[in-house]
Amino acid sequence: MTGKWQLKDREEERRLFANRLLIAMIIVASLFVALTLKLFNLQVTQYDYFASRADGNRLHSQFVPPARGLIYDRSGQLLADNQPIFNLSIVRERIEDLDETLALIASLIELSEEEVSQFKERLLRRRVPFSSVPLRFVLSEDEKARIAVNAYRLPGVSIDPQFVRTYPFDDLNAHALGYVSEINRDELDLFDEEMRENYGGTNHIGKSGVERTYEELLHGEVGYEVVEKNNRGQVMRRLERTDPVAGHNLTLYLENRLQQVAHDALGEHRGAVVAIDPSTGGILAMVSKPGFDPNLFVTGISSKDYSALVTDNINTPLFDRSVNPYPPASTVKPFIGLAGLQHGFTDRDTVIQDPGYFRLPGVRYRWGDYTLRTAIGGGHGETNLQRAIYQSCDTFFYDLGYRMGIETIHSFLSQFGFGQNFALDVGYARTGVLPSKDWKKRTRNEPWYPGDTINSSIGQGYMWATPLQLATATAIVANKGKVVRPRMLAAVDGVPFEPSESMLMPDVQIDDAENWRYIEDSMTMVVHRPYSDVFRDYGTAYEAIARSDRDMAYKMAGKSGSAQVVSIDQDILQSTDIDVSDLNKDHALFIAYGPAQHPSIEPQIAVAVFVENGQHGSSVAGPVAKAVIDAYLLDILQIDFTAFEEDPDALLSLTSEQVFEDLDHAGHDHD
Amino acid sequence: MTSLTNSRDFVRQSKLDLAPQRRISGFWQVIRIDPVLLLGLLLLCLYGLFILYSATDGDVETVRRQAIAMCVGFGVMAGMAQLNIQFYRRWAPSAYVAGLVVLGLVLLIGVDKNGARSWLDLPGLPSFQPSELLKFIVPMLVAWYLGSRPMPPSFKHIFWAGLITLIPAGLIILQNDTGTALMVTMSGIFVLLLAGLRWRIVFAGLVAAIIASPVWYLFLALPHQKNRILTFFDPYLDPTGAGYNIIQSQIAIGSGGLYGKGYGNGAQSHLDFIPESNTDFILAVLAEEFGLLGVLLLVALYLFVIIRGANIALNAADMFGRLLAGSLTLTFFLYLFVNMGMVTGLLPVIGLPLPLISRGGTAVVTLFIGFGLLMSIQMRSGGRSAR
Repeated sequence: MTGKWQLKDREEERRLFANRLLIAMIIVASLFVALTLKLFNLQVTQYDYFASRADGNRLHSQFVPPARGLIYDRSGQLLADNQPIFNLSIVRERIEDLDETLALIASLIELSEEEVSQFKERLLRRRVPFSSVPLRFVLSEDEKARIAVNAYRLPGVSIDPQFVRTYPFDDLNAHALGYVSEINRDELDLFDEEMRENYGGTNHIGKSGVERTYEELLHGEVGYEVVEKNNRGQVMRRLERTDPVAGHNLTLYLENRLQQVAHDALGEHRGAVVAIDPSTGGILAMVSKPGFDPNLFVTGISSKDYSALVTDNINTPLFDRSVNPYPPASTVKPFIGLAGLQHGFTDRDTVIQDPGYFRLPGVRYRWGDYTLRTAIGGGHGETNLQRAIYQSCDTFFYDLGYRMGIETIHSFLSQFGFGQNFALDVGYARTGVLPSKDWKKRTRNEPWYPGDTINSSIGQGYMWATPLQLATATAIVANKGKVVRPRMLAAVDGVPFEPSESMLMPDVQIDDAENWRYIEDSMTMVVHRPYSDVFRDYGTAYEAIARSDRDMAYKMAGKSGSAQVVSIDQDILQSTDIDVSDLNKDHALFIAYGPAQHPSIEPQIAVAVFVENGQHGSSVAGPVAKAVIDAYLLDILQIDFTAFEEDPDALLSLTSEQVFEDLDHAGHDHD
Repeated sequence: MTSLTNSRDFVRQSKLDLAPQRRISGFWQVIRIDPVLLLGLLLLCLYGLFILYSATDGDVETVRRQAIAMCVGFGVMAGMAQLNIQFYRRWAPSAYVAGLVVLGLVLLIGVDKNGARSWLDLPGLPSFQPSELLKFIVPMLVAWYLGSRPMPPSFKHIFWAGLITLIPAGLIILQNDTGTALMVTMSGIFVLLLAGLRWRIVFAGLVAAIIASPVWYLFLALPHQKNRILTFFDPYLDPTGAGYNIIQSQIAIGSGGLYGKGYGNGAQSHLDFIPESNTDFILAVLAEEFGLLGVLLLVALYLFVIIRGANIALNAADMFGRLLAGSLTLTFFLYLFVNMGMVTGLLPVIGLPLPLISRGGTAVVTLFIGFGLLMSIQMRSGGRSAR
C-alpha cells in the first residue's frame, strides 16, 4: 500500500499541480476583482465625497484684513501710518501638543509668560477654525530666522506679516488721535453679525480719540481669499481673492507743528492746550500733557508698561486733560460781562466803587477779591466793565452776577457751549457744569443760594468747563457771536467734510454790536495794556505777554484765570473773608485769540490753555497761549503784520502816555 | 483512465513538438532570458519610475537611484537566469543551512534599522537583510523536499515542510520583523498548497487560523498591531493618529476619480497629506493623479507578470521548478495585494512596499532575484510556453 503511494505518478501529480495553480489563479483573479471593486467604490461611487474632502484638506477660506485708513494733519503730515511687522502665529488645530510646541518656541526665541497667557486667552475667543492666532508680535530679523530654520519642527506655526498702526510722533498726539489696540471680548460682544464678519481678519480697533470716533471710516471692508495649504498649514498658493477695501484716509484740522509748539510751551507742566480755528471750529491743536506712547498699545502693551502708566497718580498720562472740566475761574468774566451788557444789568460806562470785597445786602459775610489777596490791599476803586476785565476785578462781577441771577447767566453762557459738548466729533469730551437752580436741585437736591451765584460769576463754585469748551467759547467771542462747533475731521479721502445744516447751532445774538467790540477791546487790554501811573490799571497779562515781546506784530485778546487753593498762603487760608472751595485747585488758565482789533484780518485762532497747578494764569498759561498763537499766525499761516502797522498806543485809552517801568510789580502777575 | 491520460498527453505532446518552429527566436534561448517576463518587468519599472518622479515632487536624484537599482536588479536577474535550475535545486539544502546560520548571526551581531534587528553590516560588504534571501531559499527547499516525494504530501512530509518553513520564520520573528516572517511562511505554505495539500487540511488550517486570531489579538498582539486592526475597521476612531494614514490615502484615491487629477497635480500628495507617499503609500499618489484607469493599468501590468509566472510554473520541466515558480509568483502577488489592499483600506495596515513602484533599491533588487529564478526555470523547460 505504502509502496504504491511511494511511486510517483508524474502525470497525475502534474495534473494536481495544474489544478492547484488554476485555483490559485482564480483566487488571484477574484482578489483583483475585489480590489477593483474597492477602487471603483472609492473613486467612482464616493468620488464627490472624497473630492470635497480633498478640497477641504487643502482649501481654506480666510479673511484678508483691509488696510486701515491713514490720518493726516491739515498740512498733510502723516500722523498715523501702517507699517509691516512680523508676528508668530499658531493654528491650534494643527498642533497636537500645545505645551510642547510652546516650549520649543520658547527655546528658540524669548517668550514671556504674559505673552503665553495672552495667547491662551485669544485661543478661547470666538474665531474661525484653523485660523492663525498670534502668539508673539514684532519678531526681529534674528528671531524670524531662528523660527524659519526650525519650521519643520513646528507644524502649525507660521510667521505672518501684518500691517499695524504706527504713530510717528509718539506721545505728541496721543490723546487727540487716540490709538488702536487689540479688540477685546467686550467689544466683540457688541458687534452684530455683519460687523463681526467685517472684523474677521482684523486684530485691532480704535480705542480712543480720532481712532475710535472714526473707527467706521478708518476700518474699511474685509476681503476674502481661498488659499491652498499643505498639511503643516502653510499657504502654498492663492486661488481666489476678493480684495479688501482699504479704510478712508482722514485729514484732520489738527496741525502737528502747532501740537509740537503747545507741547513744548507747556514744558514740564501738566496741562492742556486746545486751539480752534474760529472760522470753522476746526481743532488746530489739542494737547494733553503728559502724554503716552500710543505705539505701545498697538501690539499689546506689557503689564509693566501699563502699570507704569496707570499707577502714576500725579501725572496720570492716560488722562486727557483737554476734555476734562476744571473751574474756569476768571476766564468766564468776558462772557459774564457780555451777558450783563446784553441783558441791561450794566453798560459800557457804568462804574462801581470797588472796596476790595463784595457783601450781600444785609449779610456780614464778605466775598473777597482773589486777585488782590497778596497785593497792597484795598480795592480797584472806580471800575467799569472794561477795567474789571483787564484787571480781573472780582468785586465787579460779584455784583453784576448777583444782580443778573444764575438763570440769566445760565441761559446766556449756554450759547457758548458751557455745560454741553458742542464738539461734533469729540464725543468723549466731558460737558463740565454750567450750574442753574434746576441743575442743583436735580443733582444735589439742594436749593440755590445767592452765594452760589456769586461764586459762579467768577467761574468758580459749581461752574466747570473743559479746555475744549473754553477754546470754543473764545472762538465764538472772536467770531463776534457766530457759533462754530469744534471738530477734528477736515476731509475724507481729500474730500472736505462739511457738517450738515442740522448740526449748526444758533449764533449768539447781541443787540448792540458795539458790545462785541467792547469786549474785544477789554480782552486785548488784558494782554497789551501797559503799566501806567494809574494805580492798578495795566492788563493782567501785559508783563507776561506784551511786555516780554515788545515787537509783537499783532494784537492778541486774552483773559487769564486762576483757581487757587494749593499754594494759598496760610494767613489767607485762615481769613474769614475768603471762601476757599475745595474744588478750587491751584490751576492756571488762559484763553486768547488773535489777531484782535485788526482792521482787515479776522481772528485766525482761539486758544485755551490749562496748566495744572500752574499757579498764575497770566504768567504761566499766558505765554503758552502766546507761543501757540505766534506759531500759528507767524510761522504756519505766515501772515505779514508789518503791512498792517497801526497806532501802538491805541490801548492806553484811559490816561498817561508814560509807562512806569520801574514799578514794583509784586502783584502784577496776578489776574 | 490510462488511455484518457495518454490521449491528453499525446495532444499536449504533439503541440509541444510543433512549438520549436513557432518559437520567437533562438536569441532569447542563447541569452537565457524570457522576453515576455522581461517586457512585463520593463513596463512595470518604467511606470514605477514615472510615478515615483511625481511622488517625490520631481526629485531627480531619488528617481535616478531607483533607476540604478532597477538596472542592478535586471543584471542580477540575468545573472541568476544563466544558472541551470538544477544547480539551485542541488544547492538548496546547503543554501538553507547557510541561511539559518546567517540568521543566527544576525541575532547576535545584527544592526537595528526601523525597529527590526534584521540587518547585517559585515565589513567589506554592503549592509543587507539576510531574511530577504530566505524568501527564496525557503520555498526552494520546500519545493526540493516535496518535489521528489509523492503528491499530495503525506502528514510526515507536511510536518517536515512545515518545519523547514517555520524555523527561519521563527528566527525572523526573533529579529522583530513580523512582516518578513509572514511572507517567508506564506512562501512555504504556497509550495504546500500547490503540491496538493489536501483540502481537509487546508480548511482545518483556515478554521484553526480563524479560531486562533482572537486569541492572538487578545494575548499576543502588540499595541500598535491592535491599533492597526481597530483602525482597519474604523479609521475614524483615531483620525489624527493611527487612522490618519488610511483616511488621507482614501481621500487621495477617492478624489482621483476615474481619470485622476493629472500628472503632478495630486494635491493630497504634493501638499504632504499622504504620509510615506513615495514608499508604502505610493499607490495613493498614482490613484490620485491617474484615477481608476491609472490603477487598472498597474493592475494589468502586474497581472501580466503573474500570468507569465503561472505559465512558467505550469510548463516547468519538473515538480521542483513548478512548485518554486508557482510559489514565487504567488508570493509576488501577495506582496502587491497586501500593499494595494492596505492603501485602499481593504486590509489592515501592514508595512509592505508596492513591488517595483515604491522607492527602495534593496526591495527592487531582491524582487529581481525571484524573477531570475523564474527565468532559469523557464529556460530548463526548453522555453515551453502555453503560447
